[in-house]
Amino acid sequence: MARSTKLGVRGVGRVVALILVSMLSALSASAGVAQVKLKLPLKPRLPLRGNERIALAPFVIATEAEKARDKRLQNVDLQAEFQRFLKKQIEKKTKLEIVPVPPEVKLPTQNLTELGRSTEFWRALGAQTGAEIIVSGSLEFRVEDRSGYKTEEYVSPIDSRTYYRQVYVEQTGFLFDIVFMVFDGHSGEKILQDEFKDFRQTGGRRADELQGLFENLFSLENQILNLFVARDREAERYIFTD
Amino acid sequence: MAAGCSSYSRTEKAQTQISFGSSVARRGLWREAAFRFQKAIEKEPNNARAHNNLAVALEAEGEFARALAEYKRALELDPKDTYIRRNYARFAEFYTSYTRTTGKATGGS
Repeated sequence: MARSTKLGVRGVGRVVALILVSMLSALSASAGVAQVKLKLPLKPRLPLRGNERIALAPFVIATEAEKARDKRLQNVDLQAEFQRFLKKQIEKKTKLEIVPVPPEVKLPTQNLTELGRSTEFWRALGAQTGAEIIVSGSLEFRVEDRSGYKTEEYVSPIDSRTYYRQVYVEQTGFLFDIVFMVFDGHSGEKILQDEFKDFRQTGGRRADELQGLFENLFSLENQILNLFVARDREAERYIFTD
Repeated sequence: MAAGCSSYSRTEKAQTQISFGSSVARRGLWREAAFRFQKAIEKEPNNARAHNNLAVALEAEGEFARALAEYKRALELDPKDTYIRRNYARFAEFYTSYTRTTGKATGGS
């Protein structure tokens, strides 16, 4: 009797284990697909050795004319802030050697297309500074008042029903647009042109413009550095598990 | 002996290789995973899932040209599978930017 009871407990245990195993396998079979993360290498956009001498020439400021009208743009020295950011990133994250550009150097034109064709100017700057590659382009930074009425869900405490109401939301948008042009310091020819854009929106009408600018710059950091050095990019893929 | 043989043949099944390969892939062991998925393809050359998994493993290993060929084969075998299509679309986006021409080389000093 005692023996049969003991066997019965074992039997129940086996049955429970079998049920659990079959449930688990059924679950995994129904899942069938798993999401995995990969780190993909991004080749540098420029075919460089990695230790070239690079000169950071001035950029055309696309919003220069609007500075007089827009007080918030007057608080930002876009040229200086961007040059400082770019210099710091290149020094920290690449092996390129930055050569100084004399402060008296002025761009031959404010027109981006003509700037790209100013081969003589870039060749002369390359010879003057000893730079193998020269970076220039254009910068555009805008601060936009994005405040306005927005539709919001509202649950009434009286009848617990959901209603929609219009609320006034104060927001500031920061738009940053860079056109990068890279020139060969020996021939003066343009070897690459690329454009990066970023838009950030923050709460409040009086959001700080310098903070906004750096939010834009840090979000573009990976793309900018990828011009010069290899970077990683995280990607998601699906694999079948059975 | 017979039981031993049947167990051996079971481990050789494409499905077993895919299952084992996917478990090591989830631990980041992509080379081993690629080997397993390759074995699965040897057993079942028309298994779209194995081709998809091998493509992902090759992508993780940086063998993009081979990954492209495997994704294409997987799509050819099962053009309606949402996961394979999604993987291929994402890979194509990455691969296009990866292989984009970068213009002329700079002059060296």
